[in-house]
Amino acid sequence: MLIIQSNFKRAAMLLIAMLLLLGLGSPELEAAAHAKKGGEHGKASEHHKTDEGGHEKKESAHHGDSGHHGPVKSELTFVKKLRYSWLVAYMFFLSICLGCLFIVLLHHLFDAQWIVPIRRVCEHIACLIWFPMPLLALPFLLWPSGIYDWMLADPTTDHALKAVVKKWVFNPMGFYGFSAAVFLVLGYLARRLRYWSLQQDFAEAEDGEYEGKLDRIEKVITFFARFLLGHLFESRPSVRCSRMMNIHASYGIIMFVAMLTTACFAWVKALQYQWFSTMYGVYYFAGSVWVTCATVYMLMLLHQSQGILQYVIRRETYHDIAKLMFAFTVFYAYIHFSQYFLIWNAAIPEETFWYVQREKGSWWWIGQTIIFGHFFLPFLLLLRSDVKVNKSFMPLICIWAWLMHYLDMHFNIMPLIYPDGFTIYWTDFLAMGVIGGMLWSFYVKNLGRHPAYPQRDPRIAEAMGVYVEPEGGEPAH
Amino acid sequence: MAAKKKAASKKAATRKKAAAKKSAAKKSAGAASLTAQSSVREPANDVDLYGVMGVYDTPADAMHAAEKVRDAGYRRWDVHTPFPVHGMDDAMGMKPSKVGYFSFAGGATGYTVGMTMIYWMNAVDYQIVIGGKPMFSPFFAFPVSYECTILLAAFGTLLGMAFLNRLPRLHHPLLANKTFRAGATHDKFIVVIETTDPRYSETDTVDLLKSTGCKKIEFVEE
Repeated sequence: MLIIQSNFKRAAMLLIAMLLLLGLGSPELEAAAHAKKGGEHGKASEHHKTDEGGHEKKESAHHGDSGHHGPVKSELTFVKKLRYSWLVAYMFFLSICLGCLFIVLLHHLFDAQWIVPIRRVCEHIACLIWFPMPLLALPFLLWPSGIYDWMLADPTTDHALKAVVKKWVFNPMGFYGFSAAVFLVLGYLARRLRYWSLQQDFAEAEDGEYEGKLDRIEKVITFFARFLLGHLFESRPSVRCSRMMNIHASYGIIMFVAMLTTACFAWVKALQYQWFSTMYGVYYFAGSVWVTCATVYMLMLLHQSQGILQYVIRRETYHDIAKLMFAFTVFYAYIHFSQYFLIWNAAIPEETFWYVQREKGSWWWIGQTIIFGHFFLPFLLLLRSDVKVNKSFMPLICIWAWLMHYLDMHFNIMPLIYPDGFTIYWTDFLAMGVIGGMLWSFYVKNLGRHPAYPQRDPRIAEAMGVYVEPEGGEPAH
Repeated sequence: MAAKKKAASKKAATRKKAAAKKSAAKKSAGAASLTAQSSVREPANDVDLYGVMGVYDTPADAMHAAEKVRDAGYRRWDVHTPFPVHGMDDAMGMKPSKVGYFSFAGGATGYTVGMTMIYWMNAVDYQIVIGGKPMFSPFFAFPVSYECTILLAAFGTLLGMAFLNRLPRLHHPLLANKTFRAGATHDKFIVVIETTDPRYSETDTVDLLKSTGCKKIEFVEE
């Protein structure tokens, strides 16, 4: 098993190296370099390539129909298809990582005992943000001009880029700054949350390896937290670990929201930088947590059948995660509808072009599939409480959820290169396989290295449905 | 170990003699404890009975009692607790509530009513073009239909609950009972078995409650 895994990982690494090489020889890069060289010839080619600035000025009357210019069909090379497939797959898996981080934060913020048995699983997935998610982002971080048209547009003439706010976001410094911030902030958060969670496992064991050291940032944070939580360092080590996780969750949720929005703005929404939508971050968040609930449900089934989480996961745990999934089914519909509704009502060309483009050809049917498949079907199925704990039926809903979320990402990204209609190409499967396989191998490795659930969390007995008489003192009523 | 075994064998030798004495003592003690611990308040003659009531001090006791009553096959009975006790539904063998169907029916009606109402108002009865939008579109009709869905789903839930519980009613026999009024919303966990239950019998039902370790059994008057 181990050999297969390491071979698999090596194969994944090889594929990534191949992809990076593919990026090097991309025609877009050459074209960009060519255009940037300046001179009359360069300017002309830039105009031809990007078409953005001039076109918009001249045809502002027809903005609604032509505000977006997906690359012309003749430009659609294999490398471009591969990159877009990669971005779709990347955003799909990023949503699962972010969703798991959200569940961990939720657990600490609301002191939700039902999350304790699945906390470690979520922590491991959240920690994939650092590492290997930054590595997997390289194909579009190293050569962003191959995907993001704004990189090739001239900010002095481009109608959309002249907006004050967009000027600050859509420049190379902004792009790399925001991208780095996403990985650093969320990575730090995920890793420190897992660090204290792992320390807690050994906090009161005699033969443990408890270290429980504060890092520099935590020293600063706890210096201020000490005024609010004076008992922080006087309590038992396991409780102290919980306190540290609480502290991280308290500011973490704000960081999480900001960074999630940044990530989907910088990497997905920036594909069509002319567009406006303040709902977009929440929209991505709602879909992310939804698909995460489905994923965690499947992992719970898997790990319980393997015997890893056999005794800690109860029927209630399944019920609770399915309830959260149900809630986010509705929340997603609410957010997506709100975005559409505001744009539909205002009917401003700068906003409507995004949907006009997605109603062309077979994209219209994909939109319908998302309305009915992403919302109505799961909504009606998950309404019943006995379905939520049905272990033979729920996997079907979870697989359906994966499919729908992938389609949702596809719907957001792919109309740029396939303006005529929904197209699925073999690079889509390749990208999903490589990123998914890579993340899975990291996840399995991490899961095997540590206890599969928090061993000494003060709430573990409650989560297992066991009543433990407190040691000494008054018995609890 | 050896010493222990010896002691054990010695004990075994004296066991026979002790057993007879002990069992006698147990019986008397048991009878005494029963009279001391579980008091049964007998009903007055010529009074219609609503049911028999067992009062417990802890949720766990009530839960175990509920399991026994369920296994004995009773149908018309209930458990009254000051707060929701998790797992009581299973202990009582209750099926999922049917209120959800009423909510769903209410919600579906609300959505249909909302959509139809707006269609009739905007596209049939009083047509005005606003912002070049079509006369009717589910998009602008949705927020209102959605609100109607919630409103009628709430009505469905409330009325469905009232219907299934046979509410409203002006009087309930339990509310006239002093023990019930004092305990059910405060610190007692009360199992009530109704006389209309096909399995009810004055002796067997009381014995069943006694066997659950109930300390206070009372007959409830109609």
